[in-house]
Amino acid sequence: MTRTPAVLPFALCAVLMMWVPSAIAQAARPAAAPSDLAGVYQSIAAKTTLTGGLRNTGSPADIALLPAAAQQMKSVDLKQDPEKMCAAIGPFRMMARDRTKIELIPARGMIVMLFEDVSHGLMRTIYMSRSHPAKPNLNWLGDSVGRWDGNTLTVDTIGFNDKTWLNDAGAQHSDALHLVEQIRPILGGRYLEYKVTAEDAKALAKPYTYIRYYEKLDTDIMEDVCEE
Amino acid sequence: MRRTGIAFVILAAVALPCVAQTPPDWSGYYTLASGKDLGNFKPLNVNLPEVIAAHLQPWAKAKMAATDGIAEDTGQLCQPTGIFRNPPFAGSFLWLPGPEKIVIVYGALNTAGVQRIYLNRSHPRNLPPTWNGHSIGRWEGDTLLVDTIGFNDKSWLQPTMEPHTEEARLIQRIRQVGNGDFIEIHYTVEDRKALTSAYSYSRYYKKVGESMRENVCNDDIQIWRDFKSEHLKPIIERSREVRQP
Repeated sequence: MTRTPAVLPFALCAVLMMWVPSAIAQAARPAAAPSDLAGVYQSIAAKTTLTGGLRNTGSPADIALLPAAAQQMKSVDLKQDPEKMCAAIGPFRMMARDRTKIELIPARGMIVMLFEDVSHGLMRTIYMSRSHPAKPNLNWLGDSVGRWDGNTLTVDTIGFNDKTWLNDAGAQHSDALHLVEQIRPILGGRYLEYKVTAEDAKALAKPYTYIRYYEKLDTDIMEDVCEE
Repeated sequence: MRRTGIAFVILAAVALPCVAQTPPDWSGYYTLASGKDLGNFKPLNVNLPEVIAAHLQPWAKAKMAATDGIAEDTGQLCQPTGIFRNPPFAGSFLWLPGPEKIVIVYGALNTAGVQRIYLNRSHPRNLPPTWNGHSIGRWEGDTLLVDTIGFNDKSWLQPTMEPHTEEARLIQRIRQVGNGDFIEIHYTVEDRKALTSAYSYSRYYKKVGESMRENVCNDDIQIWRDFKSEHLKPIIERSREVRQP
């Protein structure tokens, strides 16, 4: 009778302990996700140029408003800026800001986006396994659904309330705001390219697109509190 | 064929204890269980304000007495409150597991924020004090043991305004119960500068879904800001005069 070597159970156990946590972590993520976007990222400074000449383009400040929306912007009290009230400022404005730090967490049926500046960013949930509800509840961050186009995560968001601004000058949007965001890893996964197009038939004269690059960080996300 | 069967049995016998040690996936959205939802579960120390009051040092009792609940309550102004008071009081959270850390996003995101539990590492030295502190965790069988230090002294232990210091330490023992429908969290709070001894309590959280809806603290924060600045400034100043000796 052949005896099992005494070391075998320990070796098997070690192999399993290495494999199983990874397998469980994978199981909790979208099965078809071609890119693992998990991590902490920070938008690069405005004048930074990456390999290949990649750099941020566009700005929410450059949107073209319809005449009524432009007129409304002139009457806005900038002291009521949600930015100054420790309130949410909306994804379109938030993602454009220099040094915005985000954390992407793939989870079961969704991707969660957390902001280091929680007060202004809150938490976004990108649903990967459903479409928009027929009548979404209007809220600050809208209703986001995602899909993979190759290694690009395309996020479609509708259902915004009209309480956030599109830019620092107080340009307001309507509940018809529609964002399409395309997020993909570039340069070996060291950066994310973030491209967003905003449409709003009631406020914007034409769709507007900007691009930001986010650097993947090897640091923890910190507590950033908007205190009075 | 017989050898293959024996090999399979040996592999299974070795593998099962290992699998039992692997981190479970408790993904989901949980809310504080109460009433009928509790079933046979018995939360420890439901009367938490009384329990804490019995453990406060004299200076902490004096500060509590001098503090106006609304005036000094950052939570009323949609500002952070730390993680002592929200989970046992009106808690809900999204549990996001991961291989290197577990993230708990509290439903009251503006006030309770996010607790990131880093697995398999120790606390860094010279932690800057923060509202939610620094959490590390390790698995002890089916229980996640979480140790949190590095708190600032700005938050309160409960909405009844019991103070703590930067020495506060929160120990959470978290496990899944009720056939996976509940998470039980046993809490122990230590603070050698504010408490005469540690106190403990437990709560049960029921899984109610996979995701968490948007929850903005206050649509009109300006109202609270005006309220605080115009009417409550004298009370705030008085409470600040009572400090830890």
